[in-house]
Amino acid sequence: MERWQVILAVIVVYLAVTLGIGLAAGRRSSKSVAGFVAGDREFGLLVMYFVTGASVFSAFAFLGGPGWAYSRGAAAFYILSYGVLGMAPWYWIGPRVARVGRRMGYVTQAQLLVGRFPSRFLSVLVATLTVVAFVPYITLQMSGAGIVIEAVTDGHVSFAVGAGVAYGIVIIYVLSSGVVAVGWTNTFQGIFMLAVAWALGIYLPYRLYGGIGPMFEQIAAARPELLTPPGLTKSGDPWTWGGYSTAILVSAIGLQMWPHLFMKAFTARSDDIIRRTVILFPTFQLFLIPVFLIGFAGVLFPETPPDPDFILPFLVLRTGLPALVVGLFCAGALSASMSTGDALLHGAASVVVEDGVRPFMDLSDKQRRTMMRVLIVVVGLVAYWQALDAESSLVQLLLGSYGIICQLAPPVLAALYWRRATTAGVVAGLLAGAGTAVFFFLSGELRPLDLHEGILGLMVHIPVLIGVSLATPAQDAEHVAHFVESGTDPLTGREAHHA
Amino acid sequence: MSLRWTRWAVAAYLLFFVAAVTWPGILPFNRVEPRIFGMPFVMAWHAGLLMFTGIVLYLVDRVESRERKK
Repeated sequence: MERWQVILAVIVVYLAVTLGIGLAAGRRSSKSVAGFVAGDREFGLLVMYFVTGASVFSAFAFLGGPGWAYSRGAAAFYILSYGVLGMAPWYWIGPRVARVGRRMGYVTQAQLLVGRFPSRFLSVLVATLTVVAFVPYITLQMSGAGIVIEAVTDGHVSFAVGAGVAYGIVIIYVLSSGVVAVGWTNTFQGIFMLAVAWALGIYLPYRLYGGIGPMFEQIAAARPELLTPPGLTKSGDPWTWGGYSTAILVSAIGLQMWPHLFMKAFTARSDDIIRRTVILFPTFQLFLIPVFLIGFAGVLFPETPPDPDFILPFLVLRTGLPALVVGLFCAGALSASMSTGDALLHGAASVVVEDGVRPFMDLSDKQRRTMMRVLIVVVGLVAYWQALDAESSLVQLLLGSYGIICQLAPPVLAALYWRRATTAGVVAGLLAGAGTAVFFFLSGELRPLDLHEGILGLMVHIPVLIGVSLATPAQDAEHVAHFVESGTDPLTGREAHHA
Repeated sequence: MSLRWTRWAVAAYLLFFVAAVTWPGILPFNRVEPRIFGMPFVMAWHAGLLMFTGIVLYLVDRVESRERKK
């Protein structure tokens, strides 16, 4: 058997196991919408841990992470900082979201927002923002799968076939089992990803430089600008401190606003599980250290990959690893891609049906479930079509998606913590903030101090939200009490003395 | 430690974290030497903050869960 055939065999086995786990998981969940979207709210700690970790760590971390360290050096460290910063407040926000969700029967983030701020326009707006942010993200995951498969089989399996088969499998298990399949497959994929990253992160520096220390010594001598933040931009110029610092802030704020994170809070069996997931999250983040070591290992490698994102498969194929190991690596990278892709596909379809369609139409449980399934296929096909289009401008748009997603933070925090917030204030703030972010994304040269467009959006968003809320009549106290309650002030721990 | 002080302490710690990884707070730590486990100092600084945050969150959880049981 030729080398690429061995590698392909390992990938096929991996995909079969993933499919098997995904299909088996679904047999235990109920056939309702709550079962499909929220897994009957029954995930335990182990599954929650990997669902959260595996879906936050995507093909971006696995291929983009080394790609960044390789081409932009210490600019990549911003990814190390924002994850934990973003997750820590979730210790308090997550259980609160979950409690409100359980009490009011919510399964999506927009339902929570619209529950507090009744407005069908808001519902559609949030659904639209979500899908606009999701589709390019799914496209990128699919490209990741296609890139890896094409690279390690020497082109015997083309990009289109690789991405198509991997995501065909994702769609089959998401269709048949919904979020329960996402949970169990992510557990499997998460373990796989961690093992592969650590193994390669230590192996490659030893193989190429004789150790991690010697590797950095050589880089410090040849390319010292790569070793300290803010590192370089994509074009190889020095990055600005303004850009680096605000990238951390926007990503930290955006991270906990991704709609699929909310869906996961709604799936948790108990609040304790959400809290423990947050506490364990730094252990998942440490996985970025070997990922960066892999990227740095490529810096002084004599050959150059066609694109920085290819550095990982590029090195793996050129360092004399046995075919079996290359196959396992490939499965790890597919894990990263598929474990994010499945959650996103499932999330996008759920949001369109629950927040985009349901406010306008009375649908039975069965109809909603059917509609979600159709949409999963539709969203999958749109993303696949974009992935095949090499000139796609959508991947460019992805860079702006965090800027848009972080505009959901003020409405969510207002819904849970600020009694005086009003529907008009939230809608006006969201429009102003998202508009500002999109404007500065499209005309980047106008950004003051190279600040991230998401931060500029928030600077407009928050004053508008507060100003318009105060200028419009307050909400009924009884209504607000469903959301801003539980008796204690978040910071003082004292009983709140509100009506 | 009471719940109130714990939460203030965590909020303060997270603000310190933000300051320590963004400009200008990162500048004193933004160097290659001394290297730690072979890694540039600033990379180890990020990894260290990460691990320390894990410990902080664990301790917070102990206080919080004790309070919840009351």
